[in-house]
Amino acid sequence: MTPFSRRDFLARTGMGFGLTALAPLLADDARAVDAVNPLAPRQPHFPAKAKRVIHIFANGGPSQVDTFDPKPALQKYAGQPLPTTNLRTERRTGAAFPSPFTFRPRGQSGIQVSDLFAETARHIDDICVIRSMHADVPNHEPSFLLMNTGEARLIRPSVGSWVTYGLGTENQNLPGYITMCPGGMPLLESQNWQCGFLPGVFQGTYIDSRHTEVDRLIEHIRNRSTSASDQRRQLDLLGRLNSMHQEARPNDPNLEARIRSFELAYRMQTEAADAFDTTREPRQVLDAYGPGEQARSLLLARRLVERGVRFVQVSHGPVQPWDSHDDLEINHRRLAGQVDRGIAALISDLKRLGLFESTLIIWGGEFGRTPVVELPTPGSNAGKVNGRDHNHWGFTVWMAGGGVKGGTVVGATDEFGFRAVENPVHVHDLHATVLHLLGFDHERFTFRYAGRDFRLTDVHGRVVREALA
Amino acid sequence: MTRWFAALPVLALAAAPAVADPSAKLTPEQTHFFETKIRPVLAERCYSCHGEKKQSAGLRLDTAVGVQKGADDGAVVVPGDPAKSRLVKSVKREGDFAMPPKQGLPAEQVADLTEWVRMGAPFPADMTGPKTGADPTKHWAFQPVRVPDPPATKQPAAHPIDRFVLAKLEAKGMTLSAPADKRTLIRRAYYDLIGLPPTAEEVEVFEKDGAPDAFEKVIDRLLASPHYGERWGRYWLDVARYADTKGYVFQEDRNFAFAYTYRDYVIRSFNEDKPFDRFLVEQLAADRLPLGDDKSPLAAMGYLTLGRRFLNNSHDIIDDRIDVVTRGMMGLTVACARCHDHKYDPIPAKDYYSLYGVFASSVEPKELPLIGEAKHTPETEAYEKELAKKKADYDAERTRRYTAALAKLRTPDSIGDYLRAVLDARGKNPEQMQGFVRDRDLSQVVFGRWRPYLTDQLKAGNPVFTPLAALHTIPEAEFATKATAAIDSLPKDKTHPAVKAALAAAKPKTLREAANAVGKAIVDGKGDPALGAVFAAGGPLDIPAVDGDKLFNRLDRDQLNAIKKKIDAFQAMNPNAPPRAHVLNDGGVQEPVVFLRGNPGNRGPAVPRQMVAVAAPAGRQPFKSGSGRLELAQAIASPANPLTARVYVNRVWVGHFGHGLVRTPSDFGVRSDPPTHPELLDWLAHQFVTNGWSVKRLHKLVMTSATYRQGSAAPDAVFRADPENKLLGHQNRRRLDFEAMRDTVLVAAGKLDRTVGGRAVDLFKAPFTVRRSVYGMIDRSNLPGTFRVFDVASPDQHSPQRFLTTVPQQALFLMNSPFVQEQAKALAARPEMASAGNPDLRVIALYRLALGRTPTATELALGREFVADSSAGRWEQYAQVLLLSNEFAFAD
Repeated sequence: MTPFSRRDFLARTGMGFGLTALAPLLADDARAVDAVNPLAPRQPHFPAKAKRVIHIFANGGPSQVDTFDPKPALQKYAGQPLPTTNLRTERRTGAAFPSPFTFRPRGQSGIQVSDLFAETARHIDDICVIRSMHADVPNHEPSFLLMNTGEARLIRPSVGSWVTYGLGTENQNLPGYITMCPGGMPLLESQNWQCGFLPGVFQGTYIDSRHTEVDRLIEHIRNRSTSASDQRRQLDLLGRLNSMHQEARPNDPNLEARIRSFELAYRMQTEAADAFDTTREPRQVLDAYGPGEQARSLLLARRLVERGVRFVQVSHGPVQPWDSHDDLEINHRRLAGQVDRGIAALISDLKRLGLFESTLIIWGGEFGRTPVVELPTPGSNAGKVNGRDHNHWGFTVWMAGGGVKGGTVVGATDEFGFRAVENPVHVHDLHATVLHLLGFDHERFTFRYAGRDFRLTDVHGRVVREALA
Repeated sequence: MTRWFAALPVLALAAAPAVADPSAKLTPEQTHFFETKIRPVLAERCYSCHGEKKQSAGLRLDTAVGVQKGADDGAVVVPGDPAKSRLVKSVKREGDFAMPPKQGLPAEQVADLTEWVRMGAPFPADMTGPKTGADPTKHWAFQPVRVPDPPATKQPAAHPIDRFVLAKLEAKGMTLSAPADKRTLIRRAYYDLIGLPPTAEEVEVFEKDGAPDAFEKVIDRLLASPHYGERWGRYWLDVARYADTKGYVFQEDRNFAFAYTYRDYVIRSFNEDKPFDRFLVEQLAADRLPLGDDKSPLAAMGYLTLGRRFLNNSHDIIDDRIDVVTRGMMGLTVACARCHDHKYDPIPAKDYYSLYGVFASSVEPKELPLIGEAKHTPETEAYEKELAKKKADYDAERTRRYTAALAKLRTPDSIGDYLRAVLDARGKNPEQMQGFVRDRDLSQVVFGRWRPYLTDQLKAGNPVFTPLAALHTIPEAEFATKATAAIDSLPKDKTHPAVKAALAAAKPKTLREAANAVGKAIVDGKGDPALGAVFAAGGPLDIPAVDGDKLFNRLDRDQLNAIKKKIDAFQAMNPNAPPRAHVLNDGGVQEPVVFLRGNPGNRGPAVPRQMVAVAAPAGRQPFKSGSGRLELAQAIASPANPLTARVYVNRVWVGHFGHGLVRTPSDFGVRSDPPTHPELLDWLAHQFVTNGWSVKRLHKLVMTSATYRQGSAAPDAVFRADPENKLLGHQNRRRLDFEAMRDTVLVAAGKLDRTVGGRAVDLFKAPFTVRRSVYGMIDRSNLPGTFRVFDVASPDQHSPQRFLTTVPQQALFLMNSPFVQEQAKALAARPEMASAGNPDLRVIALYRLALGRTPTATELALGREFVADSSAGRWEQYAQVLLLSNEFAFAD
């Protein structure tokens, strides 16, 4: 390839919208997105431990008072109205509803975690539990978007899009940003991993991890009618034709980039098949994660980050499975049972592979649940009065791994777990912190579009220092 | 690689944003701190009393001067000394005035303000107060279009475009490249105008045509092709963020049933060379034009209506419309002024809300208007019949639920519940009241009817209700013991006998029982006008069927929506549904106010509905007619508008050169790069307008220039001198976009369906459609992965220009997708291939079909070698290789 200066290279590829849109990634930093390969790995603003992210999205809103935020005071008022007024949530709520699950102090830190996450809690000394999360409204749709994109209604890039835009990805043979949800898409579907105004290449690649065959996971990854050797022959001829074509057309990196892309694609076919084939894992690893689609998705997450995928999201299942308006005890037990072992195994696995310190794991829903029961409303619930409503006033998210201060609790909700009162952490603050952990100053990490320099955190966000190691 | 790295800082400098004002003495850190920590707090919490409109105590905190001057009674800020600054004391709620009065600032913001004062209270002078920097209203794009004369050039040039371009090149000691060869030129012209390749025969005819106007004839022929509108219509659909679905809309049907009528309108308009000004006006206000019998232009309004629905948030829907209109038509980023005045361009938030008012005064009708003549065939009649039946079923179900809901409200217990609720709610603020109604599982709407009614009746001493009010004064704990006596002693003249009787008979132990007894008296005594008044006209329980929606609970709504969804889907999917237009109509005029910080709950000053100042003629007047949409449209599509014509000629330039004279096609604001050829841009804009806004004439004007017709190769010297080709010393090689690529694959396979218009088709579901890509279904909620991978314009928002990325997923589609394999197979089986007598002739035939030319000797040899072993599928594999080649994918 003709030796280009990078400036030339970028300049030449600004044909479409490449240069103008992608170059000013960070004006004050000597970094720019390679428009020909926008997924090439890049350095963040400052050195950081976390290099990649696994977001375990408990879509639907798990209850904080049944998992990571013990509220013994609820017992005192069991079946009675709380002495405080119930905060306004989506539906009518009633009396105090103490957790049916037992909390115990775990690890050296003694952080209390309920039995729902007993396995995960074995790693509690590596986990930072943020008990003072809060969001804006008690409705799923805006809260999904807020958590996943930092904006409740308008079109904005998702967290994973920002991260791959900022860091590129380490393995060009796999998509840089993969989002899994076994059995179907979460509520709002692809909006959760949309790239907004960023180029399409930064959109999450959705994978229905219920499937096991690679060609049902990644579009066009396998050729059903041409053998690998015949395809190799095709690509060899293609290479000859393309280089003859290129000889007469100097100084055009777009031609070179396209030539390269076929070789990458060829390798991606085998690499992806390998990455998604969990049968290659030893028996004891499979056993450690446990049975089920959730467990398998978490194992896949590990296989993907191991191979250099930058951002992996694992949602729990179609629509909003954690949304326990009725039968909370039964449903939460079932849901936690599907992931608890897997999460614990994932953390152990990453530690074993030496990846834990460089992988940021985030667990949480779009909001939490009320510490009081939801009252019957026709059409809204089954009227069993044994579930909890949505609660955006206070909930729990935890983080672990790269740069996170383990064995820590950040913030607190009130006596009953309704509202974040101590060191409240808004979703924007969480995002600022995640970016910080990856080496970005969230206020300088921008993309210019429609006359504005957009940020993941818009005009908000503060880094939660207490969560940093 | 090292060379790239070394060059990085240069690039970074080039890309640095033009930071605000040169005269501001603030350090970047100070500016940053102020803009992120201080100004937002001041704006949100202080400006409403100490801002531009209102200066309580003479204090103004939105300008440097104001902060310096302080309040009527003296300074509020002592720079560097928070302890002496009254502003700091106030927000700490320590001084004489605790500020903001109602609710204090969070500790963090107090700390920031304190820190800011400690820093010396630095305040950027550029944003407010007297402007000392460049005046943004003087920015080139906001000046009237000039009529420059093409400059003189050393090299003779007849075409004005070439004179503008040559003058710049010659100043750098450069010149235009040699003309492209004829094959390259005709292929370029085909892709530029119709997005399809010429056949080998068409190329040869052109090569042989020695007439001086040979190329002009090609241009004319292509402009007359119906495929021209498909190509240029698709470009406009990018601008219009076109999609066939609404995105996520809860449980509703997601389809825009008639989006395709807008797409077809756009295609037709380009094909008819509809004057561009008219095209713009129709898209904003066809409903306000005298259309005569042909209502088809109503479909134009899909430009406004076919956006995302943002969880049905009306403010965001309007924001999307403002954005698509201002960026799409004028290259103005007005949506930046939603929360505050535009940071760079002279677009105040007031102008945003002027446009907001126009769209807030426009509504989408429930029944979309029919366009075109209704056909009467057995199929359409069956469809109409089925639709009518479905609608009747829906109406019947709705009536049933309405009747049931109303009947429930008219029972004694329900009446009792509301009576009691109104009495209990007295003295509560609206928010408490809302929570209280909700906790009792009552309807806010019905409560909202009962409350004023009952309040009035009690004031007037209505004997039906006053007894209950009297009983309400008994403390709850004592009710059981005291009620009987209280009932006995109810004053006769103020107690309706039936009410008294009912209460006496009920012997209520609780207020609830008493209220229900009153309810029973009312229901039983309906015939008595005094008792029956609640059911009579104007009474709280006189709820007409049209308001039925308000009575429904979630279950009712969910079930009715489920039926409605089926009806909508039926209309959207049924090929016999007669075409309709997704229009807007004028609704009740809403006089807008500024929403401070973009928050609808935070109402600022009222503003008139009018044109944004920066693009309005002198003496701007508020809109007068209806919503003002038509006047807005006319102000945009006006020759006097400094932006509209410039922005569109630039878009056309993008379509012919790969990038514009202004390289940010939807942002002509202060921060955009200046045009590479400002005089040329103005000259083209002027030509465009004086040629009656004819887009076709504009194409021809551009394409007949030597600048357009030159070769695209960039020799080293030219490349070094001008790597970004800003001076246009050569044409630009362009990669086919997804649509052109896919359509060309179908042409090569001999299968392209050339039908124009119609409902959207799924491009990715087997059996694969062979229609042009422009007719592919664009599902905004789940945009097909292949669209994303190939940088097809995102339908989420207005798309200024497509990205150009190269990723392996594109290659995977071409290598492995059943679609491409199917076409490769078809290509290998075309009659021209079958009839070729030997492998060499077949290779030649293949080249002609796929690439429109004869292969070279080397290529022929390679082909021969590839198929030599005669294995099964070799020719298909070979055909596919040609479809994958760079030659196929790029137009020189």
